[in-house]
Amino acid sequence: MKDACQRYAEDPETHAAHLQECAECRNIYGALNAEIEAKPVNVDALPLAPWEGASYRAWPLVIGGALGVLAIALALCAAAGISPFLAIAMGARPDAARAAIAAIDEKLRPLGPVVFTALFIVVNSILVFLLRRAPRGIGA
Amino acid sequence: MRKAILIALVVAATVVTALVAAPLFKTPAPPSTFSEAASMMTRTAVSVSLLFVWIIAAVVVTLMSGREVRYSSIELRSSPLHCFALGLVAVTSFVLTAILFSYLIPYLVGIPLLVALAVFAVLTKVYGTIAVFHAIGTIVAAARSRDLMLRRRWLRGDLAMVVIGILLLGAIRLIPIAGPIVWGIASVFGVGTALATKFGRREPWFLVWRAAET
Repeated sequence: MKDACQRYAEDPETHAAHLQECAECRNIYGALNAEIEAKPVNVDALPLAPWEGASYRAWPLVIGGALGVLAIALALCAAAGISPFLAIAMGARPDAARAAIAAIDEKLRPLGPVVFTALFIVVNSILVFLLRRAPRGIGA
Repeated sequence: MRKAILIALVVAATVVTALVAAPLFKTPAPPSTFSEAASMMTRTAVSVSLLFVWIIAAVVVTLMSGREVRYSSIELRSSPLHCFALGLVAVTSFVLTAILFSYLIPYLVGIPLLVALAVFAVLTKVYGTIAVFHAIGTIVAAARSRDLMLRRRWLRGDLAMVVIGILLLGAIRLIPIAGPIVWGIASVFGVGTALATKFGRREPWFLVWRAAET
Protein backbone atom coordinates (compact mmCIF):
# COMPACT_ATOMS: atom_id res chain seq x y z
CA MET A 1 0.00 0.00 0.00
CA LYS A 2 1.30 3.42 -0.93
CA ASP A 3 1.66 6.23 1.60
CA ALA A 4 -1.14 8.20 -0.03
CA CYS A 5 -3.44 5.16 0.16
CA GLN A 6 -2.52 4.67 3.81
CA ARG A 7 -3.27 8.33 4.59
CA TYR A 8 -6.64 8.05 2.85
CA ALA A 9 -7.46 4.88 4.82
CA GLU A 10 -6.63 6.64 8.09
CA ASP A 11 -8.53 9.84 7.36
CA PRO A 12 -10.81 9.65 4.30
CA GLU A 13 -12.43 13.04 4.77
CA THR A 14 -9.20 15.08 4.76
CA HIS A 15 -7.71 13.17 1.83
CA ALA A 16 -10.87 12.86 -0.24
CA ALA A 17 -9.05 13.94 -3.41
CA HIS A 18 -7.00 10.74 -3.32
CA LEU A 19 -9.88 8.75 -4.75
CA GLN A 20 -9.71 10.80 -7.94
CA GLU A 21 -6.01 9.96 -8.37
CA CYS A 22 -5.87 6.27 -7.39
CA ALA A 23 -7.86 3.76 -9.43
CA GLU A 24 -7.08 0.89 -7.07
CA CYS A 25 -8.56 2.67 -4.03
CA ARG A 26 -11.52 3.79 -6.13
CA ASN A 27 -12.31 0.17 -6.97
CA ILE A 28 -11.85 -1.07 -3.40
CA TYR A 29 -13.90 1.64 -1.71
CA GLY A 30 -16.47 1.54 -4.49
CA ALA A 31 -17.00 -2.14 -3.80
CA LEU A 32 -17.24 -1.49 -0.05
CA ASN A 33 -19.84 1.21 -0.51
CA ALA A 34 -21.92 -0.74 -3.01
CA GLU A 35 -25.37 -1.64 -1.79
CA ILE A 36 -25.87 -5.20 -0.75
CA GLU A 37 -28.18 -7.03 -3.09
CA ALA A 38 -31.31 -7.93 -1.21
CA LYS A 39 -32.26 -11.49 -2.07
CA PRO A 40 -35.29 -13.20 -0.57
CA VAL A 41 -34.21 -15.92 1.85
CA ASN A 42 -35.98 -19.25 1.68
CA VAL A 43 -35.98 -20.24 5.34
CA ASP A 44 -37.17 -23.77 4.63
CA ALA A 45 -34.14 -24.40 2.44
CA LEU A 46 -31.75 -23.57 5.31
CA PRO A 47 -30.47 -26.41 7.50
CA LEU A 48 -32.28 -27.00 10.77
CA ALA A 49 -30.60 -25.08 13.60
CA PRO A 50 -30.03 -26.94 16.89
CA TRP A 51 -32.15 -24.45 18.86
CA GLU A 52 -35.21 -24.75 16.58
CA GLY A 53 -37.99 -26.44 18.48
CA ALA A 54 -35.63 -27.07 21.40
CA SER A 55 -37.85 -25.39 23.97
CA TYR A 56 -40.77 -27.67 23.12
CA ARG A 57 -41.67 -29.82 26.11
CA ALA A 58 -42.91 -33.26 25.22
CA TRP A 59 -44.57 -34.02 28.55
CA PRO A 60 -46.43 -37.17 27.41
CA LEU A 61 -43.11 -38.77 26.41
CA VAL A 62 -41.38 -37.66 29.61
CA ILE A 63 -44.18 -38.80 31.92
CA GLY A 64 -44.73 -42.01 29.97
CA GLY A 65 -41.02 -42.86 30.01
CA ALA A 66 -40.62 -42.06 33.69
CA LEU A 67 -43.73 -44.04 34.70
CA GLY A 68 -42.65 -46.99 32.55
CA VAL A 69 -39.22 -47.11 34.19
CA LEU A 70 -40.79 -46.64 37.63
CA ALA A 71 -43.19 -49.55 37.02
CA ILE A 72 -40.32 -51.83 35.92
CA ALA A 73 -38.22 -50.73 38.91
CA LEU A 74 -41.08 -51.41 41.36
CA ALA A 75 -41.72 -54.82 39.82
CA LEU A 76 -38.04 -55.78 40.00
CA CYS A 77 -37.75 -54.50 43.58
CA ALA A 78 -40.81 -56.53 44.56
CA ALA A 79 -39.33 -59.62 42.88
CA ALA A 80 -35.98 -59.10 44.60
CA GLY A 81 -37.69 -58.46 47.95
CA ILE A 82 -36.18 -55.03 48.61
CA SER A 83 -37.75 -51.61 48.91
CA PRO A 84 -37.17 -49.11 46.06
CA PHE A 85 -35.55 -46.65 48.49
CA LEU A 86 -33.12 -49.32 49.64
CA ALA A 87 -32.31 -50.11 45.98
CA ILE A 88 -31.55 -46.45 45.30
CA ALA A 89 -29.46 -46.22 48.48
CA MET A 90 -27.52 -49.33 47.45
CA GLY A 91 -26.85 -47.92 44.00
CA ALA A 92 -25.86 -44.47 45.17
CA ARG A 93 -23.25 -45.71 47.66
CA PRO A 94 -19.75 -44.51 46.71
CA ASP A 95 -18.13 -47.81 47.76
CA ALA A 96 -17.13 -48.81 44.24
CA ALA A 97 -15.41 -45.49 43.53
CA ARG A 98 -13.67 -45.58 46.90
CA ALA A 99 -12.49 -49.15 46.31
CA ALA A 100 -11.24 -48.26 42.83
CA ILE A 101 -9.26 -45.28 44.12
CA ALA A 102 -7.82 -47.39 46.96
CA ALA A 103 -6.80 -50.12 44.49
CA ILE A 104 -5.11 -47.60 42.19
CA ASP A 105 -3.36 -46.08 45.24
CA GLU A 106 -2.08 -49.55 46.15
CA LYS A 107 -0.71 -49.98 42.65
CA LEU A 108 0.96 -46.57 42.55
CA ARG A 109 2.45 -46.73 46.06
CA PRO A 110 5.43 -48.98 45.15
CA LEU A 111 6.48 -46.47 42.48
CA GLY A 112 7.42 -43.93 45.16
CA PRO A 113 6.57 -40.27 45.76
CA VAL A 114 8.78 -38.92 42.97
CA VAL A 115 7.03 -40.93 40.25
CA PHE A 116 3.63 -40.09 41.74
CA THR A 117 4.46 -36.38 41.78
CA ALA A 118 5.74 -36.53 38.21
CA LEU A 119 2.59 -38.38 37.11
CA PHE A 120 0.39 -35.86 38.91
CA ILE A 121 2.14 -32.92 37.25
CA VAL A 122 2.10 -34.52 33.78
CA VAL A 123 -1.60 -35.46 33.94
CA ASN A 124 -2.68 -32.06 35.21
CA SER A 125 -0.49 -30.28 32.63
CA ILE A 126 -2.21 -32.25 29.87
CA LEU A 127 -5.58 -31.39 31.46
CA VAL A 128 -4.75 -27.67 31.43
CA PHE A 129 -3.49 -27.95 27.83
CA LEU A 130 -6.76 -29.59 26.73
CA LEU A 131 -8.89 -27.11 28.68
CA ARG A 132 -7.27 -24.17 26.87
CA ARG A 133 -8.92 -25.15 23.58
CA ALA A 134 -12.00 -23.08 22.82
CA PRO A 135 -15.20 -25.07 22.23
CA ARG A 136 -16.12 -25.53 18.56
CA GLY A 137 -19.80 -25.85 19.24
CA ILE A 138 -22.38 -24.12 17.12
CA GLY A 139 -20.15 -23.01 14.27
CA ALA A 140 -18.79 -26.49 13.60
CA MET B 1 -0.56 -32.75 13.41
CA ARG B 2 -2.72 -31.62 16.33
CA LYS B 3 -5.28 -34.31 15.50
CA ALA B 4 -2.58 -37.00 15.35
CA ILE B 5 -1.29 -35.95 18.77
CA LEU B 6 -4.83 -36.03 20.11
CA ILE B 7 -5.46 -39.53 18.71
CA ALA B 8 -2.16 -40.78 20.13
CA LEU B 9 -3.03 -39.19 23.47
CA VAL B 10 -6.45 -40.85 23.51
CA VAL B 11 -5.01 -44.26 22.67
CA ALA B 12 -2.25 -43.93 25.25
CA ALA B 13 -4.61 -42.69 27.95
CA THR B 14 -7.09 -45.47 27.17
CA VAL B 15 -4.38 -48.14 27.41
CA VAL B 16 -3.04 -46.73 30.69
CA THR B 17 -6.52 -46.41 32.18
CA ALA B 18 -7.43 -49.94 31.06
CA LEU B 19 -4.20 -51.38 32.49
CA VAL B 20 -4.76 -49.65 35.82
CA ALA B 21 -8.45 -50.44 36.03
CA ALA B 22 -8.53 -53.89 34.44
CA PRO B 23 -8.25 -56.04 37.60
CA LEU B 24 -11.29 -54.26 39.03
CA PHE B 25 -13.52 -55.86 36.43
CA LYS B 26 -14.83 -59.28 37.37
CA THR B 27 -16.03 -61.69 34.74
CA PRO B 28 -19.66 -62.36 35.66
CA ALA B 29 -20.62 -65.99 35.61
CA PRO B 30 -24.20 -67.07 34.87
CA PRO B 31 -26.13 -67.71 38.11
CA SER B 32 -26.02 -71.37 39.10
CA THR B 33 -27.66 -71.19 42.52
CA PHE B 34 -30.83 -69.55 43.82
CA SER B 35 -28.87 -67.01 45.89
CA GLU B 36 -26.81 -65.99 42.83
CA ALA B 37 -29.99 -65.52 40.81
CA ALA B 38 -31.48 -63.44 43.65
CA SER B 39 -28.32 -61.34 43.76
CA MET B 40 -28.53 -60.77 40.02
CA MET B 41 -32.18 -59.74 40.37
CA THR B 42 -31.23 -57.29 43.13
CA ARG B 43 -28.50 -55.77 40.93
CA THR B 44 -30.99 -55.31 38.08
CA ALA B 45 -33.52 -53.75 40.47
CA VAL B 46 -30.84 -51.35 41.71
CA SER B 47 -29.87 -50.41 38.12
CA VAL B 48 -33.46 -49.73 37.05
CA SER B 49 -34.22 -47.79 40.26
CA LEU B 50 -31.18 -45.63 39.63
CA LEU B 51 -32.36 -45.14 36.05
CA PHE B 52 -35.57 -43.62 37.41
CA VAL B 53 -33.50 -41.25 39.57
CA TRP B 54 -31.47 -40.35 36.46
CA ILE B 55 -34.68 -39.51 34.58
CA ILE B 56 -35.86 -37.19 37.37
CA ALA B 57 -32.44 -35.52 37.63
CA ALA B 58 -32.12 -35.13 33.86
CA VAL B 59 -35.59 -33.62 33.50
CA VAL B 60 -34.91 -31.13 36.30
CA VAL B 61 -31.49 -30.13 34.91
CA THR B 62 -32.85 -29.81 31.36
CA LEU B 63 -35.75 -27.66 32.53
CA MET B 64 -33.42 -25.45 34.56
CA SER B 65 -30.63 -25.07 31.98
CA GLY B 66 -31.70 -26.58 28.68
CA ARG B 67 -29.56 -24.25 26.59
CA GLU B 68 -26.38 -25.24 28.45
CA VAL B 69 -27.15 -28.94 28.07
CA ARG B 70 -27.78 -28.39 24.35
CA TYR B 71 -24.49 -26.52 23.89
CA SER B 72 -22.59 -29.30 25.63
CA SER B 73 -24.39 -31.87 23.48
CA ILE B 74 -23.46 -29.95 20.32
CA GLU B 75 -19.84 -29.81 21.43
CA LEU B 76 -19.85 -33.55 22.07
CA ARG B 77 -21.20 -34.26 18.59
CA SER B 78 -18.90 -31.79 16.82
CA SER B 79 -15.64 -32.85 18.51
CA PRO B 80 -16.10 -36.24 20.20
CA LEU B 81 -12.41 -37.13 20.16
CA HIS B 82 -11.46 -34.03 22.10
CA CYS B 83 -14.23 -34.64 24.62
CA PHE B 84 -13.17 -38.26 25.10
CA ALA B 85 -9.49 -37.32 25.54
CA LEU B 86 -10.39 -34.55 27.96
CA GLY B 87 -12.69 -36.90 29.88
CA LEU B 88 -10.02 -39.60 30.23
CA VAL B 89 -7.42 -37.10 31.39
CA ALA B 90 -9.90 -35.43 33.77
CA VAL B 91 -10.94 -38.75 35.35
CA THR B 92 -7.26 -39.68 35.80
CA SER B 93 -6.64 -36.26 37.31
CA PHE B 94 -9.59 -36.68 39.71
CA VAL B 95 -8.23 -40.04 40.87
CA LEU B 96 -4.66 -38.78 41.34
CA THR B 97 -5.90 -35.64 43.13
CA ALA B 98 -8.10 -37.77 45.41
CA ILE B 99 -5.06 -39.94 46.29
CA LEU B 100 -3.00 -36.81 46.96
CA PHE B 101 -5.72 -35.32 49.16
CA SER B 102 -6.10 -38.61 51.03
CA TYR B 103 -2.48 -38.23 52.15
CA LEU B 104 -3.48 -34.87 53.67
CA ILE B 105 -6.26 -36.34 55.86
CA PRO B 106 -3.99 -36.48 58.99
CA TYR B 107 -3.45 -32.73 58.61
CA LEU B 108 -7.24 -32.06 58.68
CA VAL B 109 -7.14 -30.00 55.49
CA GLY B 110 -7.47 -33.21 53.49
CA ILE B 111 -11.11 -33.88 54.41
CA PRO B 112 -12.62 -30.59 53.13
CA LEU B 113 -10.45 -30.83 50.02
CA LEU B 114 -11.65 -34.38 49.39
CA VAL B 115 -15.27 -33.36 49.94
CA ALA B 116 -14.88 -30.42 47.51
CA LEU B 117 -13.27 -32.68 44.92
CA ALA B 118 -16.01 -35.29 45.32
CA VAL B 119 -18.76 -32.69 44.93
CA PHE B 120 -17.11 -31.24 41.82
CA ALA B 121 -16.54 -34.69 40.33
CA VAL B 122 -20.14 -35.78 40.96
CA LEU B 123 -21.56 -32.54 39.51
CA THR B 124 -19.33 -32.89 36.45
CA LYS B 125 -20.34 -36.49 35.92
CA VAL B 126 -24.07 -35.87 36.39
CA TYR B 127 -24.21 -32.79 34.16
CA GLY B 128 -21.97 -34.37 31.52
CA THR B 129 -23.93 -37.61 31.44
CA ILE B 130 -27.14 -35.64 30.89
CA ALA B 131 -25.42 -33.90 27.96
CA VAL B 132 -24.50 -37.35 26.62
CA PHE B 133 -28.16 -38.43 26.94
CA HIS B 134 -29.13 -35.38 24.90
CA ALA B 135 -26.48 -36.13 22.28
CA ILE B 136 -27.55 -39.78 21.95
CA GLY B 137 -31.22 -38.81 21.76
CA THR B 138 -30.45 -36.22 19.09
CA ILE B 139 -28.35 -38.64 17.03
CA VAL B 140 -31.03 -41.32 17.18
CA ALA B 141 -34.32 -39.42 17.08
CA ALA B 142 -33.83 -35.78 16.09
CA ALA B 143 -35.78 -34.49 13.09
CA ARG B 144 -33.60 -33.96 10.01
CA SER B 145 -35.84 -31.35 8.40
CA ARG B 146 -38.09 -28.51 9.52
CA ASP B 147 -41.22 -30.11 8.04
CA LEU B 148 -40.59 -33.37 9.88
CA MET B 149 -39.98 -31.51 13.12
CA LEU B 150 -43.22 -29.55 12.85
CA ARG B 151 -45.20 -32.69 12.07
CA ARG B 152 -43.96 -34.42 15.23
CA ARG B 153 -46.01 -34.15 18.39
CA TRP B 154 -43.70 -35.79 20.91
CA LEU B 155 -40.29 -36.44 19.40
CA ARG B 156 -38.92 -32.91 19.47
CA GLY B 157 -37.38 -30.58 21.99
CA ASP B 158 -34.50 -30.93 24.43
CA LEU B 159 -36.56 -32.77 27.02
CA ALA B 160 -37.61 -35.50 24.59
CA MET B 161 -34.05 -35.98 23.32
CA VAL B 162 -32.73 -36.34 26.87
CA VAL B 163 -35.41 -38.88 27.83
CA ILE B 164 -34.80 -40.95 24.69
CA GLY B 165 -31.07 -40.90 25.39
CA ILE B 166 -31.63 -42.07 28.99
CA LEU B 167 -33.96 -44.88 27.95
CA LEU B 168 -31.52 -46.11 25.28
CA LEU B 169 -28.40 -45.91 27.41
CA GLY B 170 -30.27 -47.31 30.40
CA ALA B 171 -31.40 -50.32 28.37
CA ILE B 172 -27.83 -50.87 27.15
CA ARG B 173 -26.60 -50.64 30.74
CA LEU B 174 -28.64 -53.70 31.70
CA ILE B 175 -26.65 -55.89 29.26
CA PRO B 176 -24.08 -57.89 31.25
CA ILE B 177 -20.40 -56.98 30.76
CA ALA B 178 -20.98 -54.62 27.81
CA GLY B 179 -23.53 -52.45 29.63
CA PRO B 180 -21.31 -51.13 32.43
CA ILE B 181 -18.46 -50.58 29.93
CA VAL B 182 -20.70 -48.55 27.61
CA TRP B 183 -22.04 -46.58 30.59
CA GLY B 184 -18.48 -45.94 31.77
CA ILE B 185 -17.41 -44.72 28.32
CA ALA B 186 -20.49 -42.46 28.22
CA SER B 187 -19.46 -41.06 31.61
CA VAL B 188 -15.96 -40.32 30.29
CA PHE B 189 -17.50 -38.52 27.29
CA GLY B 190 -19.78 -36.66 29.70
CA VAL B 191 -16.98 -35.47 31.98
CA GLY B 192 -15.08 -34.37 28.89
CA THR B 193 -17.92 -32.39 27.35
CA ALA B 194 -18.87 -30.80 30.69
CA LEU B 195 -15.33 -29.54 31.16
CA ALA B 196 -14.78 -28.62 27.49
CA THR B 197 -17.78 -26.28 27.52
CA LYS B 198 -17.47 -25.23 31.19
CA PHE B 199 -20.86 -26.76 31.95
CA GLY B 200 -22.39 -25.37 28.78
CA ARG B 201 -21.43 -21.77 29.46
CA ARG B 202 -18.76 -21.79 26.71
CA GLU B 203 -16.44 -19.53 28.67
CA PRO B 204 -12.66 -19.96 28.84
CA TRP B 205 -11.30 -21.68 31.94
CA PHE B 206 -8.16 -19.55 31.96
CA LEU B 207 -7.83 -15.84 31.30
CA VAL B 208 -5.14 -14.81 28.82
CA TRP B 209 -2.55 -12.54 30.42
CA ARG B 210 -1.78 -9.46 28.38
CA ALA B 211 0.55 -6.63 29.43
CA ALA B 212 -1.09 -3.23 29.84
CA GLU B 213 -0.38 -0.85 26.98
CA THR B 214 1.44 2.32 28.03
